[in-house]
Amino acid sequence: MKKSLMIFALVLLMTALFTAGVFAQKTTIRYFMWDPEFQEMERGLVEEFEKENPDIEVEFTALEPTNYWPKISAMAAAGELPDVFNMSSGYIDQWAQDGLLMNIQDKVDELPQDDYFTRVFSTLRYPDKTESDMYGIPYAWVTTVLYYNKDMFDAAGVEYPNEDWTWEDFRKAAEELTIDENGDGVPEVYGHWWYGRYAHVEPWVYANGGRILNDLKTRIDVDEKAREALQFLGDLSNKYNVSPPKKDVVGIRQQDMFPLQQTAMWVDGSWNIQHVRDMGQGAFDWGIAKVPQGPSAEPGEYEAYGWPDSLVISKESEHKEAAWKLIKYLIGKNRPVDSYMAGKVPILKSLAESDEWLETDNDPEEIEIVLELGELMGRTSFTIGWGEWRGYADTGGSGMNGVLDSVTNGEMTVDEAVEEFTEHGNTVLERYYEE
Amino acid sequence: MKYKKITPWLFLIPTLLGLVFFRLGPMLAAGLASFTRWNVFSPPKWIGLGNYIELFSSGTFRMILKNTLIFSGLFVPGVMIAALFLALLVNNRLRGMTFFRGLFYLPVITSVVSIGVIWSWILSPRFGLLYQLVSKFFNIARLPSFLGQPEYALYTLIFVYVWKMAGYQMILFLAGLQNIPQVYYEAATIDGASIWQKFRYITLPLLTPTTFFVLIISIIMSLKTFELTYIMTQGGPNYASTTLIYSIYVNAFKHFRMGYASAMSYILFIIVAVFTYLNFKYKKRWVHYSE
Amino acid sequence: MSLGRKIILYTILIAISFTTLFPFLWMFSSSFKTMGEIFSLTPSFIPDNIFAEGMWNNYKSILQEYNFLRFIFNSFVVAGLAALGQLFTCSLGGFAFARMEFRFKEVIFALMLATMMIPIQVTIIPEYFIMLKLNWYNTYLPLIVPSMLIGSFGTFLLRSTFENMPSSMEEAAFIDGVNDWQMFYMVFLPNAKPALASLFIIAFMNNWNALLRPVIYIDKPDLYTITMGLAMFKGNYGTQWHLLLAGSVLSILPLLFIYMSMQKYFVRGMLTSGTKG
Repeated sequence: MKKSLMIFALVLLMTALFTAGVFAQKTTIRYFMWDPEFQEMERGLVEEFEKENPDIEVEFTALEPTNYWPKISAMAAAGELPDVFNMSSGYIDQWAQDGLLMNIQDKVDELPQDDYFTRVFSTLRYPDKTESDMYGIPYAWVTTVLYYNKDMFDAAGVEYPNEDWTWEDFRKAAEELTIDENGDGVPEVYGHWWYGRYAHVEPWVYANGGRILNDLKTRIDVDEKAREALQFLGDLSNKYNVSPPKKDVVGIRQQDMFPLQQTAMWVDGSWNIQHVRDMGQGAFDWGIAKVPQGPSAEPGEYEAYGWPDSLVISKESEHKEAAWKLIKYLIGKNRPVDSYMAGKVPILKSLAESDEWLETDNDPEEIEIVLELGELMGRTSFTIGWGEWRGYADTGGSGMNGVLDSVTNGEMTVDEAVEEFTEHGNTVLERYYEE
Repeated sequence: MKYKKITPWLFLIPTLLGLVFFRLGPMLAAGLASFTRWNVFSPPKWIGLGNYIELFSSGTFRMILKNTLIFSGLFVPGVMIAALFLALLVNNRLRGMTFFRGLFYLPVITSVVSIGVIWSWILSPRFGLLYQLVSKFFNIARLPSFLGQPEYALYTLIFVYVWKMAGYQMILFLAGLQNIPQVYYEAATIDGASIWQKFRYITLPLLTPTTFFVLIISIIMSLKTFELTYIMTQGGPNYASTTLIYSIYVNAFKHFRMGYASAMSYILFIIVAVFTYLNFKYKKRWVHYSE
Repeated sequence: MSLGRKIILYTILIAISFTTLFPFLWMFSSSFKTMGEIFSLTPSFIPDNIFAEGMWNNYKSILQEYNFLRFIFNSFVVAGLAALGQLFTCSLGGFAFARMEFRFKEVIFALMLATMMIPIQVTIIPEYFIMLKLNWYNTYLPLIVPSMLIGSFGTFLLRSTFENMPSSMEEAAFIDGVNDWQMFYMVFLPNAKPALASLFIIAFMNNWNALLRPVIYIDKPDLYTITMGLAMFKGNYGTQWHLLLAGSVLSILPLLFIYMSMQKYFVRGMLTSGTKG
């Protein structure tokens, strides 16, 4: 039934395409993207699209995120939004709520669902993350993984992380990997590195089945499992001294701690696979693993943390069909795998499973773990005002990020930090979500 | 003898046009915005004094205000003294002075990111240059974290800002120094005045119009710069180095609270207006014009 | 000047130069490095590939793949015109404020100074609507005209400069029968060269470094300014530092050039001496 429907849709589309090609003059749509690093590849892809769709012309612009958002917002204010543009998981709820985005559920339903990593679609639903309609579609997604330095594990005689690792095992390994040669109390090499950053903390919370928001995601509400995860991380810093205080990691970028071999383990986004390759330059052997499941998680119910990078269509777009056609092309099989940095996963499964993406001859050999995690993706903590209460990027020194940094510095206990970020976070959330 | 009555207005045509269209217009709009909730991409919603009430009941905002006052209070004298010192140095007639003038100006134009990165590295408690120097003489495991500890972060930033901007104020002082007639110095030399006396009784008083100007400009600069903050501390730890302008930037284009950011801008505006007014009011007490 | 004093002066000059040169040198040397080399734990001041194969890779890449020369040219046009415009506007305005009496003088001046204080982050959106109404989108007009029409800093600077000039100069010229324009242009302006030079340096630099306005008003890659070009090296998940630093070096060379070429106006004794009353 579904199949025949699809064929019917396809035929319809073909006819539409054909007739459009014959009668219509050129339709011009505008496409804004936020990753100038890959703009040449993206432009190539857009040109391919134009070749296949001679009736559509695409004006393509790439801007870095710091400029992208003011620009897009100004355009929205003037009613000049581009037809197709990138949308982040942290902002989509607000944009959907304000009625700026086209509901594309019908279009998405026409896609062959099995071809895509659909677990991450939930982030794009609004208002309900499981049942509501989608206002955007991912072209890529990322997750968080545990990076580990195999050379250091070998030297310390510690077994590599495996599926059965408990937090206890992790901590013990971290202790053995922490090296303070000169005995001055400050290790030269740490077993692990974490601070208040979302990609460092939330993976542990979810791996323990924890929640930092209430069910409706309208208030901060740290449950016992989440608190347990935070306490576990806090103890790594203060009780066991296997992770450096944030205040010491100055003048070295946080993402360089692992590739410069200052720490044996590290949890961060999968896109850092590219970064570790670039910075490490083969100086050491390394691998990736799942973040170990916490003691309070339901056994067998692993919750991975990740999020999509998405494309949306402006609600006011006058060329919605052409816009959707472009999007379908951008998330489809023609996208060159090189346009994803290593560790950023194409939404199309066949691309992600291709040898070019897996690059099995390159570190980490366990890269398929990333794809596995794509099927285990659970909740996220994105809300309206997320960047503000979480303390993200330019405000990394404040919000939840800031107080958790204080925990790593030993300036605050985990309980104090939870109390403080709950209070701060709820003042933010109260602005956007009434009781 | 007098100028024609119409002349000042003719001379001020461009300025007045600019003032009305590109300053007052947008500024009034921002004033209206400060009474609304406005995320930029959707139409604003009128909330009366809501933003202002929120500001004054927020402990964070009080902290930010305090940081701003500390920042200006230290940056302004710091940068002025450093700049005057540099200007006096490069005002000497020595071979290669043009070259040194260029070098002293370098931090002003060197890209902010480079400066942020390099200073963060110098000050790093365990990896930095300073640590490597100090640890040669003392057996210490780490330095205090000048950027990572709330008690130091703001002051460290002030120091780096002064270092970066001193060359800017140096140019202004330099231009002012050129206007002091050489004859005074010549006369003083004949009278046997020391270098200090010449500085104290000729340079300093005759430079006061420039000093006044640099003072106002430095106050405004101290309240308007934030790029290094983003690169070096992101306003942290826990707001310890967040100043008003940084908070305005973040609220406007990161949190998309344009109404709130506008309200903060008006408070900033009032602060500067008060400072500037006081300065102009007491100007006569210490600024000497050459007539 | 005695030799001893010279030695002391040079010592101080060189010592300070070290601190101001250091970050610049880091930037310069890093602009030849690969990303891994830039952020190694102890940065080296001599890149590995100096005078070797691949030394110019970063520069080649930004000039060939990213069209940086074009951006530099664009910025030169924008910053140059805006700065020249400021010289004109601000010297006229500054002169009126300094030497003439008229109604609302102090009110206008105060407004001009005060409006300088509202951060552009909160005025840019209203301004954007004005520019759209004027149909100036994707042109350089929004980058040039506002800063050409009004420069609080420059007007203030020239006001203090002109105020500080002796009225004997003015009186003598009036007796010679000059008109108002000649008074400004031929009597006062030539004496303000150091101030004009510093204004030009600063106005050029401010416009050169401006980023928010270009981003908001310019879409076409051909019209990109240098700051927009530099921003292209930042991505959603990382920054291409090697290219960013090479671009930064290129982007400050023109500033240094402007600064150094303005030096000749910083000469002492432009004013005739003995005019103090």
